[in-house]
Amino acid sequence: MSDKNDDDAPPSSPTAGSASTENAGTDGKSPTSVDSPSVSPAPGATASTSSKLKSNSLKVDILLKPAGDAPIMKKKKWTVDRTKKISWVSDFIKKYIKSEASESLFLYVNQAFAPSPDTDIGSIFDCFGSDGKLVLHYCRTQAWG
Amino acid sequence: MINFRSLWFQVNITRGGRLTMADDREILREIWEGKVPVCFQLAQEEVYTGEQPDPFFLLVPRLSYFPLVTDKVLRHMMKHVDPEHHGEMWLEFDGQPLKWHYPIGVLFDLYGMSTDLPWKLTVHFQNFPEEELLRCSSKEVVQSHFISVVKEADALKHRGQVINSMQKKDHSTLWAGFMNDKFDQFWSVNKRLMENSGEKAFMFVPFRIYRADQIPVQKLFKPCADSGESLTLRHLLKTAVPELMETDALISSRVLIQGIEPPLDTPVCWLSEHLSYPDNFLHICLMPRVEVES
Repeated sequence: MSDKNDDDAPPSSPTAGSASTENAGTDGKSPTSVDSPSVSPAPGATASTSSKLKSNSLKVDILLKPAGDAPIMKKKKWTVDRTKKISWVSDFIKKYIKSEASESLFLYVNQAFAPSPDTDIGSIFDCFGSDGKLVLHYCRTQAWG
Repeated sequence: MINFRSLWFQVNITRGGRLTMADDREILREIWEGKVPVCFQLAQEEVYTGEQPDPFFLLVPRLSYFPLVTDKVLRHMMKHVDPEHHGEMWLEFDGQPLKWHYPIGVLFDLYGMSTDLPWKLTVHFQNFPEEELLRCSSKEVVQSHFISVVKEADALKHRGQVINSMQKKDHSTLWAGFMNDKFDQFWSVNKRLMENSGEKAFMFVPFRIYRADQIPVQKLFKPCADSGESLTLRHLLKTAVPELMETDALISSRVLIQGIEPPLDTPVCWLSEHLSYPDNFLHICLMPRVEVES
C-alpha cells in the first residue's frame, strides 16, 4: 500500500511499475519533467504565451473513486495529460482493476453526469475540477441517470 | 434559416432592447424549426448489388441527431450492401466522418456551411472509424447521451439543483418532446432548466466552441461581471479562445451559432436562453471566412 505516500506527495509518480502504469502517459516522470512528448503547445502560440504556461499546466490531477461494486484502486490519484480522453481513462482503469476490455465501465463527474468518451480531460478539469484536482467516479453499471 | 436571419435583425437585441414574451417564443420557435436539406448516398465501394442505389433526400432538423432521423436511410441503403459484411451505419462528408453525438446543426455549421445544398453525405456500413466516432447501437444510447449533457449543463447553470429536483418522468417528457418534435411539451420542462433569475440565475453559461480539426473548447464562463455588467459573446471568445483575439484571426473568422452570425455584442445570457440546443449548451462554431461572400 502506498496510500500515505500518494496523498501527501504531489501526484504523478506511480509506485509499482506495472504494465498498466506505464500506459498512464505521464506517470513515471517526476512532476517537474516538462518535456512531455505527447503534448505540444497549440500551433501559433507565441513565445510569450508558452512561457506563461507553467510546467505542469499540460497535465492535471485526477482522483479515481469507485462506485457500486467496482473494485477500489490502490492508487487513486493520477496525473494525466490534459489532451487525454475520457475513453482513455476508462481503458486505463479497466486495465488497472483487471476488468475485461469488453466489459462496460461508466465514468461520472460530480456523481451526476457521464461525459462522452471523446471529451478531453482538460476541459472537464477546467469546468469541474476543484482544489486542484478532478474527481471521477467509476462503476460497472450506470449509476447516475 | 433565411427567415430567421431577417427576424434576427428585426429584433434589436444588440442594444439590450427588451423583447416581449411573444417575441421570445417566436425566436425559440424559429430555432426549433431550423432544418438542413441532406442528400444521402451510399459509398460507391460498398455497393454490392451492382447498381448504385438512388440517393435519399431528407430535410432534417438542425437540433436533432443523425441516428434519430436516419431510419429510412438505413432501410433504403441496406438493400444494396453486402449482407455478410456490414456493420453499423456511419456518415461522412468529404472525407470527414460525422460524429452522431453532435447536433446536426453543429455538424452542418462546421463542415457544410460553404457547400452547395442539399448537403451531400456519404453513407457507410464498413470500416467504422473507431478512432474518430463513437458507436451508437440504439436510440437509447442517444437518449442517455442527451440527458447526460442536459445534466452537465445544469451542473454549470444551477449546480445541478434544477435537474436534481426533477423526477424521472420530467426527463422522459423532455426527451419525448424533443424526439417527437413537440415544442410545447419540450418547453414545459425545459423552461425550468432555463430559469435565470434570482436564486436560479445562471452561475456559468454552458458552451462549447468547435473548430474543424480541433478538440472543442469548454471553460467556465460567468454571464455577468462582478460589477453586474452583462458579458457579451466578444467577452466569451476572449476568455475561451484568447489566441483568436490576439491577432486579426477574428476578422477572418465567422462565429456561427445555429447557422447565424450573432453580433459580438450580444449578451451571452440572451444567447444561452434563446440559441442553445435542446441539450442546453450553446454550441459555437468558428469557421474561416470564405472570400466568395455575396
